[in-house]
Amino acid sequence: MKHALNSVVFALFLASTAALADDMPTYKLLMKDGRFYPETLEVPALTRFRLEVKNEGPGATEFESLELKKELVLAPGVTRSLVFYPMKPGTYKFFDDFHPETGQGRIVAK
Amino acid sequence: MGNAFFVVWRESLEAFLIAGILYAWLKANDDSGSGRRALFLGLAAGAGLAMLLGWALLTVQDELTGEALDMFQTATLFVAAGLITQMVLWMRKHGRQMKARLHADLTAAAEKSGHLGVAVVAALAVAREGAETVIFLYGMAQEGDLNALLLGALAGFAGAGATAWLAAKSLARLNIGLLLRLSSILLLVLASALLIAAIDRLLGAGWLPPLLDPVWDSSALLDDGTKAGKLIADFSGYRARPALTSLLAWATYWGVVIFAWRRSGRG
Repeated sequence: MKHALNSVVFALFLASTAALADDMPTYKLLMKDGRFYPETLEVPALTRFRLEVKNEGPGATEFESLELKKELVLAPGVTRSLVFYPMKPGTYKFFDDFHPETGQGRIVAK
Repeated sequence: MGNAFFVVWRESLEAFLIAGILYAWLKANDDSGSGRRALFLGLAAGAGLAMLLGWALLTVQDELTGEALDMFQTATLFVAAGLITQMVLWMRKHGRQMKARLHADLTAAAEKSGHLGVAVVAALAVAREGAETVIFLYGMAQEGDLNALLLGALAGFAGAGATAWLAAKSLARLNIGLLLRLSSILLLVLASALLIAAIDRLLGAGWLPPLLDPVWDSSALLDDGTKAGKLIADFSGYRARPALTSLLAWATYWGVVIFAWRRSGRG
């Protein structure tokens, strides 16, 4: 019984994440040679969106933003997605914690 | 090379600092050396765990496993913050008993559980940041620049070790009362920073509402996006643009800790 309940909860969880994935605009961010491409991302304000971060190397990277409360470690060649919650208009900085000198970017919500 | 040094130094500093503070404290309070053995066992276990976690993070491909790992990392932050806090309060009690020459009153069981706490805290400290270091070094190894990798990484580890050694040495110079007080404060500040990091993860994942975000913006005074600012943020829990939820968690943490501290002082 408990097992069945777990399966149902799990299925609901899968269904809800799948539903969320559908109606979200997706933006792409490339990390390469310790830099972000593009360095400025424009996104609509007050809208949930998905950011697909790809690390083309060389080396591992760490997409991080204290303002946006995101932290994601990427081995070379890895692509991962982050979901951002609706944000107020403004500029939000992010950086590559493994390349703090060169890896600086920002999200501009309009 | 310079970058590898900085990243490895910063990532391993926290673990080395926790180990250094615990070592200084155990050395002053525990003559048998069994506490220090527990500390080293914990550190070794942490190194193993770091490699395991790093490997898991590297091999993750699908989103679901990624989310599970995220949750696991968030949980380790909470557990580490809680354990360090509990340990500091235990240390305060233990330290008082030692000072009052009531060593015999401290039962073997209490000592054992205390040492287990020390080992687990050390292991978690190493495992958490160590996993990121593992991925960073793996990335460098893939670049094929093994000389720079070895030099930078070794220098970074050595630098963090030296920083912690210096901290432990300067702590050990102090008289026992001051040592206990200062090491406790350092550990509690670190624990509060871990708590804020954990809350940040929950906020970022949408599991907690930020309530009001940001409450203020002090990035003109101290920007947490810079190298130095990030370091301070990592170790103190400082945020240039804190969410109300984080502030409430921070205030609650210190409220509870100060209450427990006062109470344990009376007992």
